[in-house]
Amino acid sequence: MSLNSIGYLMKEAGRSLWRNSWMALASVSTVTIALFVLAVFVVVSVNVNHVTAMLESQVEIRVFIKPHVDRRRELALMQEAKTWPGIRKIQFFTKQQAAEALKQEFPDQHTLFQLIQKSNPLFDGYNVYARAPSDIRTIAGHFARQPIVHNVVYQGTVVKRLTRLATVLKWSGWVVEALLGVATLFIIINTIRLAVFARRREIQVMRLVGATNWFIRWPFILEGLTIGLMGAVAADAAVALGYHWVLRQAAVSLPFWPMAGFQVVLLHTTVFTVIGGLVMGALASVVALHRFLRV
Amino acid sequence: MIRLEGVTKRYPNGHQGLVNISMTVHRGEFVFLVGPSGAGKSTLIRLLYGEERPTSGEIVIDQFRLNGMTWRQLPRLRRQLGIVFQDGKLLPTRTVFQNVAFAMEVVGASRKDIHKRVPQVLELVGLARRRDHYPEELSGGEQQRLGIARALVNHPSYILADEPTGNLDPETAAGIMKLFQEINRRGATVVMATHAKDLVNQMQKRVVVIEHGSIVRDDAKGVYAYES
Ligand SMILES: Nc1ncnc2c1ncn2[C@@H]1O[C@H](COP(=O)(O)OP(=O)(O)O)[C@@H](O)[C@H]1O
Ligand SMILES: [Mg+2]
Repeated sequence: MSLNSIGYLMKEAGRSLWRNSWMALASVSTVTIALFVLAVFVVVSVNVNHVTAMLESQVEIRVFIKPHVDRRRELALMQEAKTWPGIRKIQFFTKQQAAEALKQEFPDQHTLFQLIQKSNPLFDGYNVYARAPSDIRTIAGHFARQPIVHNVVYQGTVVKRLTRLATVLKWSGWVVEALLGVATLFIIINTIRLAVFARRREIQVMRLVGATNWFIRWPFILEGLTIGLMGAVAADAAVALGYHWVLRQAAVSLPFWPMAGFQVVLLHTTVFTVIGGLVMGALASVVALHRFLRV
Repeated sequence: MIRLEGVTKRYPNGHQGLVNISMTVHRGEFVFLVGPSGAGKSTLIRLLYGEERPTSGEIVIDQFRLNGMTWRQLPRLRRQLGIVFQDGKLLPTRTVFQNVAFAMEVVGASRKDIHKRVPQVLELVGLARRRDHYPEELSGGEQQRLGIARALVNHPSYILADEPTGNLDPETAAGIMKLFQEINRRGATVVMATHAKDLVNQMQKRVVVIEHGSIVRDDAKGVYAYES
């Protein structure tokens, strides 16, 4: 396609949007709403993933050893475990140390400590730190198979639940989004149809003098893309303002809650909304023009 | 060369447009299609520019075989044709210059070529001084000239005209006919459906008479005559 043609096409798309500006505004608004909902889902998902990742990175594995096991065997297993892959750090604790730690954590439970003092029901064990969250399960399995190990505890269940929540969110997000997307498509399709109708004389002349179908289509596709892009920009602006506000509120009222960063969130929402907007715009124009040019 | 071989056109609603038409138009010819209303003249013109497909028979224009033509190939055929209508099909929101330039823009011509070529054609059809007027500010004859200018601007080998003088008074019509003669003299093949009896008779060109969808006469230096 020549430079002349590109200039022509841009001019035509702009002219058409201007002439149909009310309908175009309506389309942009619906695209904005659909993309805003999409962006909210993205924001929530990014945050859930953020919390999950935080928890995973903090997780330590606690390995408890059976009572009456020889101290030497306990230390030997620790030495061996240090050579296993994925282990960043491993700390041995005795049941006396475990009792001390408990006392510090719950200083008011006097009767409990008197009981522990008489016959300590706690276990010796290790605190194990993984290099990466994905290593945790394997390491836990390794320890669990050792004969001297009583049991292994890690925060896997919380992480698992969060992961499941993220999946549910993702799928329900897609379903809602698909419904909104269809509705939005119809509105853009109608806008493009109106634009086609407004330009039917031009189109007739173009066909008579031998303009190619793509040449006739491009202004409308550009128009659809522009509507999609404008919707995306508006949705992103709304999300940026909204999330900024949420972050400020959270900093005051939920200071310990780990919120995903502004830039990370905006990056994600922008990618989703821009791609979503462009795809919807292009799809709508193609559908609106389908059957239209074939003789 | 335009060649029709046993062409029949039946419309989906059952109307018979053309029945078993065969004819050949050579390069440089000037052919009138005459006949009563509803005879099939417009149908024939529409078949030639690919707006309608024949129900049976074969249509060939130069290297283009219209029967199996896809919608992708059609633009290439159309660039060889200049099509003129009774109603001109002008764009009311564009000036005379822009109307003609539009036909060049949409086939990808450069600004430079457009600014060189459009004034030439406007000069040829006698609209050079009207270039910045809008179609509604023109007389009927001028509007028709504008339609012709647009048909000519991309150097077509063939001019197809469907009753181009249908709306015009005899004097204006004569001027338009002279213009077509001039275009033909410059090398374009002209096929024109018309009712302009006196003009056809004056021109001494080939006349093809169509009635009820069939060719009933085809005379080299014919006259406008048919039983109505
Ligand atoms: N688009 C159409 N659909 C159905 N029938 C048509 C159509 N165009 C023309 N016809 C029919 O075909 C016949 C020839 O019409 P037409 O080619 O317009 O004749 P002319 O141009 O000689 O007056 C007429 O009977 C007319 O009713
Ligand atoms: Mg007719």
